[in-house]
Amino acid sequence: MSHDAVLVFSKSWGAAYLLIFFVAAVVWAYWPSRRKRYEDASKWPLKEDDTPCQ
Amino acid sequence: MALSIERFVGWIAIIGFFFLGVAIGGYAKTPAFALHGWLIAAAAAWGARYLYENASDAPDRPLEYNDEVIRFTVIAAVVWATLGFLVGVVLSLQLAAPELNGDMPWTNFGRLRPVHTTAVILGFGGNALIGTSFYVVQRTSRARLAGESLPLLVVVFYNLFVVLAVTGYPLGITQSREYAEPEWYADLLLTVAWLGYLATYLRTLARRAEPHIYVANWYYLAFIVVIAMLHVVNNLAVPVSLETPKSYSLFAGVQDAMTQWWYGHNAVGFLLTAGFLGMLYYFLPKAAGRPIYSYRMSIVGFWGITFFYLWAGSHHLHYTALPEWVQVLGMTTSVILLIPSWASVFNGMFTLNGAWDKVRTDPAVRFMMVAILFYALATFEGSFMAIKPVNALSHYTDWTVGHVHAGALGWVAFMTFGAMYKLVPWLWQREGIYSLRLEAWHFWLALAGTLIYVGAMWNSGITQALMWQTYDDSGNFAFPFIDTVEAMKPYYWLRAIGGLLYLVGAVLGAYNIYMTVRGPAKARTTPAMVTAE
Repeated sequence: MSHDAVLVFSKSWGAAYLLIFFVAAVVWAYWPSRRKRYEDASKWPLKEDDTPCQ
Repeated sequence: MALSIERFVGWIAIIGFFFLGVAIGGYAKTPAFALHGWLIAAAAAWGARYLYENASDAPDRPLEYNDEVIRFTVIAAVVWATLGFLVGVVLSLQLAAPELNGDMPWTNFGRLRPVHTTAVILGFGGNALIGTSFYVVQRTSRARLAGESLPLLVVVFYNLFVVLAVTGYPLGITQSREYAEPEWYADLLLTVAWLGYLATYLRTLARRAEPHIYVANWYYLAFIVVIAMLHVVNNLAVPVSLETPKSYSLFAGVQDAMTQWWYGHNAVGFLLTAGFLGMLYYFLPKAAGRPIYSYRMSIVGFWGITFFYLWAGSHHLHYTALPEWVQVLGMTTSVILLIPSWASVFNGMFTLNGAWDKVRTDPAVRFMMVAILFYALATFEGSFMAIKPVNALSHYTDWTVGHVHAGALGWVAFMTFGAMYKLVPWLWQREGIYSLRLEAWHFWLALAGTLIYVGAMWNSGITQALMWQTYDDSGNFAFPFIDTVEAMKPYYWLRAIGGLLYLVGAVLGAYNIYMTVRGPAKARTTPAMVTAE
């Protein structure tokens, strides 16, 4: 593979890869079924936590 | 008693370092290198004794959090901060009055500067991150730190690495890679300690009580993994012999420069940013008594920062031999980074919404709020400075120095102080901090110092840039270079004053933490017999 071929590949597919990954991350984070899990998790630091479970 | 994998690997590493230390101590041709050899051997001997003495306590893990190792890092962070800020003030005075270099090789600017950067970034910032990450991972996983002997070995050998680094520079031991100056033997030590850190962190997460991993741990984990990767690749080098500390990098030319700034910028991105965002996402909600405003935004921000930061390093090499498209890539990703960065800023500020009374009454929360504001400023400024025409103006000037300190003093250190003023009473079971008034004094001194510092550097940077780029009719420089140096004097004195205020604040903070630790323990209410939720 020549330098130019790598260049063309990374310029085109690099952008697509980052965009697709971004969309996937947003969809994953905002998927409705995960709402409750995240809302619970956001309150974890507020718990009293003097002893570990294990 | 069965020999666990943790202990087995620990023994191998410690025996290996003992022999390496003895070999260096014996073969070294310079006292500085020999000193380092014996230091490593002595630390390894201590480690062997520690492992041996703790050889039988493995089966019964106490049902409480392991805070001993965190207390060690807090004290280490405070000591390194004081030392690092002090050397910083000395350096700023040397720049204002060059005759203060002491006229000795080991006190000149070039040798003292890495002492400052290593002490503050790795000594202060590194210990604060390791300590708070151990605190956060235990609380949010509701599990005791995995491993009974490895955690303390990790923090002791990490600090040995910092000691080797800062004692080596004045004596001339450096591989001249910015922020990665320590030579191969110290790098090897850090690699092993860091892998131990990663193993401890992952094994603690594996023991967590809930299926979900709290978001602060994601940021901390990104910090640990990326620093391991950067450190190993950037320090690939061939040592010459056991007689001198010298080694030769595997990279040359523009590849060398790109590797170095891939390392350098991601050290900023993952040590000074991702790690401290982890700290923010635990200590801010905890201190403000409010949940994170948008947990989902913190997750999207995480993926944004981890994915884009890794490509931004080439903005340090604008207008160099680096291929144009790599420069443009660095510029573009740097600009995009503004979005996840400011997502964290808004998330932090909206988390505070409803707790503004605490900003007024609790200096620790105020420290964190100002940290977020400086994070907003520094990330906006950083994206702006990465744009090529802006960089043509700002690069090689004091504007860069001002930018770095807006981030380091304003964001990283403010965040750490805010977290520490909360953490110290928790770790030592104290009623609260020794003196809220001193804490408030620390806050205002630090804020005044940072504003003076950053303001002075903006002025000197822009002045420098404009003087360098002023030409006469025939295209010659209008100002001889020495004139641009002379013009900096007032700003350099101002910077020294700002730095001094910051140092005084930090010394007050160290005293306050010392008095808190020495003070009386909190009266125990009912014994902690409440069953876990």
